[in-house]
Amino acid sequence: MTNTSTRRRAATATALTLGLALTATACGSGDDDAGSGSQELKGQTVTVAGVWTGTEQKNFQKVLDAFSEKTGAKTKFISTGDNVSTVVGSKIEGGNAPDVVMVPQPGVLKQFANKGWLQPLSTKVRDETKSNLAPVWRDYGTVDGKYYGLYFKASNKSTVWYSPDALSQAGVQPPKSWKAMLKAGKTISESGLPAFSVAGEDGWTLTDWFENVYLSQAGPEKYKQLAEHKISWTDPTVVKALSTLAELFKDKNLVAGGSKGALRTTFPESVEQVFGDNPKAGMVYEGDFVGASISGDLKKKVGTDAKFFPFPAVKGGKPPVVGGGDAAAVIKAGKHRKAGMKLLEFLATPEAAEVWAGTGGFLSPNKNVKLSAYPDDVTRQTAKSLVEAGNAVRFDMSDQAPAAFGGTKGTGEWKLLQDFLRDPSDPKATARKLEAAAAKAYKG
Amino acid sequence: MTALSPTAPSKPSPEPSSKASSKAPSRAGRPGPVAWLMRQLSRGVVQLILAVVGLLWLAPAFGLFVSSLRPDQDNASSGWWTALTNPGDLTFDNYSALLDNSGIIDSFWNTVLISVPATVTVVVVASLAGYAFAWLEFPGRDWIFLAVVGMLVVPIQVGLLPVAKMFGAVGLFGTIPGVILFHVAYGLPFAVFLLRNYFAEIPKEMLEAARTEGCSELRIFTSLVLPLGRPAIASLAIFQFLWVWNDMLVALIFADSQSQPLTVALQSEMRQFGSNIGVLAPGAFLSLIVPVTVFFAFQRHFVQGVMAGSVK
Amino acid sequence: MPATPVKAPAGPAPLPGRAGPGTTEPKDSPRRRADRRRRLVALLFLLPALLLLGALVAYPILFTVGRSLFDASGTRFVGAENYTAMFDDPATLKAIRNTAIWVLVAPALLTGLGLVLAVLTEKIRWATAFKLVLFVPMAISFLATGIIFRVVYEQDPDRGVLNAVAVGVHDAFDEGAHYPTARPKDSTVLAKGKDGSYTTKEKASPGNTVNLGLVGVPPKDLPKDAGPARKAADATAHGDELRGVVWVDFTLGGGGKPGQVDPKEKGLPQVAIEAVDAKGKAVAKTTTASDGSYHFSKLSPGDYSIRLPARTFAEPYTGVEWLGPTLITPAIIGAYMWIWTGFAMVLIAAGLAAMPRDVLEAARIDGASEWQIFRKITAPLLAPVLGVVFVTMVINVMKVFDLVYVIAPGPVQEDANVLALQMWLVSFGGGNNQGLGSALGVLLLLLVVPAMIFNIRRFRRSQS
Repeated sequence: MTNTSTRRRAATATALTLGLALTATACGSGDDDAGSGSQELKGQTVTVAGVWTGTEQKNFQKVLDAFSEKTGAKTKFISTGDNVSTVVGSKIEGGNAPDVVMVPQPGVLKQFANKGWLQPLSTKVRDETKSNLAPVWRDYGTVDGKYYGLYFKASNKSTVWYSPDALSQAGVQPPKSWKAMLKAGKTISESGLPAFSVAGEDGWTLTDWFENVYLSQAGPEKYKQLAEHKISWTDPTVVKALSTLAELFKDKNLVAGGSKGALRTTFPESVEQVFGDNPKAGMVYEGDFVGASISGDLKKKVGTDAKFFPFPAVKGGKPPVVGGGDAAAVIKAGKHRKAGMKLLEFLATPEAAEVWAGTGGFLSPNKNVKLSAYPDDVTRQTAKSLVEAGNAVRFDMSDQAPAAFGGTKGTGEWKLLQDFLRDPSDPKATARKLEAAAAKAYKG
Repeated sequence: MTALSPTAPSKPSPEPSSKASSKAPSRAGRPGPVAWLMRQLSRGVVQLILAVVGLLWLAPAFGLFVSSLRPDQDNASSGWWTALTNPGDLTFDNYSALLDNSGIIDSFWNTVLISVPATVTVVVVASLAGYAFAWLEFPGRDWIFLAVVGMLVVPIQVGLLPVAKMFGAVGLFGTIPGVILFHVAYGLPFAVFLLRNYFAEIPKEMLEAARTEGCSELRIFTSLVLPLGRPAIASLAIFQFLWVWNDMLVALIFADSQSQPLTVALQSEMRQFGSNIGVLAPGAFLSLIVPVTVFFAFQRHFVQGVMAGSVK
Repeated sequence: MPATPVKAPAGPAPLPGRAGPGTTEPKDSPRRRADRRRRLVALLFLLPALLLLGALVAYPILFTVGRSLFDASGTRFVGAENYTAMFDDPATLKAIRNTAIWVLVAPALLTGLGLVLAVLTEKIRWATAFKLVLFVPMAISFLATGIIFRVVYEQDPDRGVLNAVAVGVHDAFDEGAHYPTARPKDSTVLAKGKDGSYTTKEKASPGNTVNLGLVGVPPKDLPKDAGPARKAADATAHGDELRGVVWVDFTLGGGGKPGQVDPKEKGLPQVAIEAVDAKGKAVAKTTTASDGSYHFSKLSPGDYSIRLPARTFAEPYTGVEWLGPTLITPAIIGAYMWIWTGFAMVLIAAGLAAMPRDVLEAARIDGASEWQIFRKITAPLLAPVLGVVFVTMVINVMKVFDLVYVIAPGPVQEDANVLALQMWLVSFGGGNNQGLGSALGVLLLLLVVPAMIFNIRRFRRSQS
């Protein structure tokens, strides 16, 4: 499984429990609303595969419906669950390929491209993106010089969420630097509330912690090299980032429940510990989807009961913006791949993004999407910082790594960072172990 | 034979021995009443120990059941045992939410759609083969059967990869028929072995008589062997059904999100265990209600089937 | 029964009459035609089974053996490299070690427990009901069992029943601490002792006032009657009295000055406090009042340090970390026993029921003790059944997968890893190294080969 989809699952947990999950076969708007579009694709059915379920699936269906209305094509969404690559792979081999796939990680996109499953994007899509997307988003969609993946949905993983009550009780302000954040944390803990809830049972939250610290401290260049494993994990910058992280991890006053407690905390629990009815910590770090969890699962109001500050700059670096996203790609073997490409042309427009933006739980990397399209101020803020970061955005590193290293429960980076959380005394040894695991995974 | 209540109910052993000692009190060299008291006492201790063990066995499942009747907030803040003092707080909300959860309900039906055909197919295919191995002549019969005996303990893990590739190539991967086929294949060695041994016990004379009367083999099979073999077939069917119903590993690999059974659907909720008890606990009961009903309805065949197939 | 064909429903019987009709009569062409026909019929009966077994069981074994000699992507022949890699890779090594623990511990425990319970059930009238209770878990999936035991093993004593009991027992002997998270802001006034107590750095004498500030006290930990400490802090000590307050040195909402008893700051009630003389002996003890104040009166002149004993700050006992890295395997074995003990007991009880009663009674009449009877008669007669249970469990335990996968939380999955799980993880669960995965599959297969041979020999013996 992949960490992105875990987060997704987390965000959609309520929807699932409440049974809102819609049937996957919900077809596009059947009625031909004549006059609103050219209906050039009438009679064709575009099949789209993606990891979304529940609310996200429902909201994406709205985007697909808008496409149907414009073009007359019908659409069908297949939810693949966590395992996009296995499911899509078997469908292609079984002669039943979808036309478009929404790929949740750059690593998977690369894998698909290398297997020759994908069709490069049409000139029209490329032209559209030139004005809409920062080059970094196009780079992440490019494999070996060919542009395959159009980033449609993005996430901002550099947000620290806090309970305004906890901060005002302690009399502190949202911090602007790592040092200030630790100091604020210390004051909060002196007020009687542990500072951070760390979701150590879910390894991916720890990789996100590390990535933010690393991106800010070592800079985007090094970050890129490390993500591609061009520099080794024993690099001094890695050891330094781990040592920085240890300043937080080793202090049991800063981490709710100490490291042992953190290792028993899952992501939804960590959000609940801060924003639930019986707060056990003042702050929790994770991406913009925390907001969905707060308003969805906990029925609290984002903006009043919960706020965020951007992940602060670490020791003189710039504030990091770690992002992620889902890229749309067209599958060569799809029967209606031409209509599929038309869908991508639509997805590249601000218009398509604004359909989903209005419903919440969505950020677009598209800089021409009007901020007013987002439903609330907090989302607008996250969207703004993502777009403003422009080319400094870096993708979630563990999502770019081979799954065995960056995306598997109980092994690789997840497991090693959990061990590090348990005992943060020896960053060098941890770096060595990370390198050993990475070397093996990147080779395979 | 190994039913819970043995055919010849085991007599409580203290009785014969108490008779024995009362017959020969001088040899025991102990006054009767004291020995009697000691025995009663030790019997009381045994009763107590077993009662405690029995409760220990019931408690975990009972705990989960109570949890399944509590709202999420309650489960998050206190243990299920606290609900025992005010049972009024228990509700069936989790269950009604579960019944509205199309993902879970779909997967429940998938479980049915996998288990029933997989069981029927194994029974049919294995009966045919079991009869052939027991009563039909053909070259290499014993060797082939030995190979089947050898396959009894082959771990299904060995088959996962190659069969996954094979199914991928023919489009069965990620489909319900694929899951069924895998279960059938790995259920067969045991099924064939069990039925062949049972069929072999049918008196030879009965079959010969039928043959001399000119019955075809198919006819003998359907009207003689199958009815006579009913006890073994019932045990086999129950065992196979249980196995498939409870399986997670095979489905984890061979089913996709549309064809996944309940075990896999629930397993994916496991990741956020603490916050998902409201789905997991009633889900677990939904998944075990069927096998447990089967257990109580067909206790005897159930125990026999499980005993016979335990090694699989 | 397969591996250990002792208790098939029908009981494995030798094939009745082996020589079929027709084999002894040669050259009779209608008979030969009938033979051919019969073979054809046999083939038709067998075909479905043979096709399925051949394609999905036999061929995959060969394929797996072959695949295990190639690298992860399947393009390069690597010979035995995957097999050596198996013993280099720490995760796989751990899996092998854990599987060994399972095989050594679980079958023996299950057989022993099954035997004891089977013997004991002979002495009660409600044996059937008891067996029923212990046998039901056999009907429950590993997944449901896993969910059940996650609740049992839950760490938080407020939620996990096992730790609730552990904490209940512990706290019955040891009164809980009052303020586990309280601590001085820094070490200027109070120094932490090795035992977790805090002692003032500077000495004080009768007539002095010593105020001790602590931070990190959650408002909900404060007793309701806790009052502001300011007034008591300003009170002066008389003569032979040493006094002061222990207070929360934090003004909620900010604005308080560290080290100073600000107006809103509250006293900490019920804190144990001691006056310690120069020799390190506690000469006076008291606890703080609701405004956090304390005083020692009638102290003889001299220098004292003030000590806050460790018990006020001790971390509350939170029970055993069942799902932590050290206990995870025993914990999962516990859940496994929950499922299988009924099976072992029922099998052994059936063996006991078949025991010759007259022999036992004769022994009793001859004055043999119960223990002697058990050792000399019951145990030997029961040995085959015990063997069956044991071997069955060994084979079963080697393939344990679901329970480990379901119960072990992410951070300790590797500590709980077993072969069957590692095989799955390596081949499907993210590793996608099908070469190594196949090698692990072959290893599993090799481990059950003794059982396979045992089966075949046993079967052949029963046929002769």
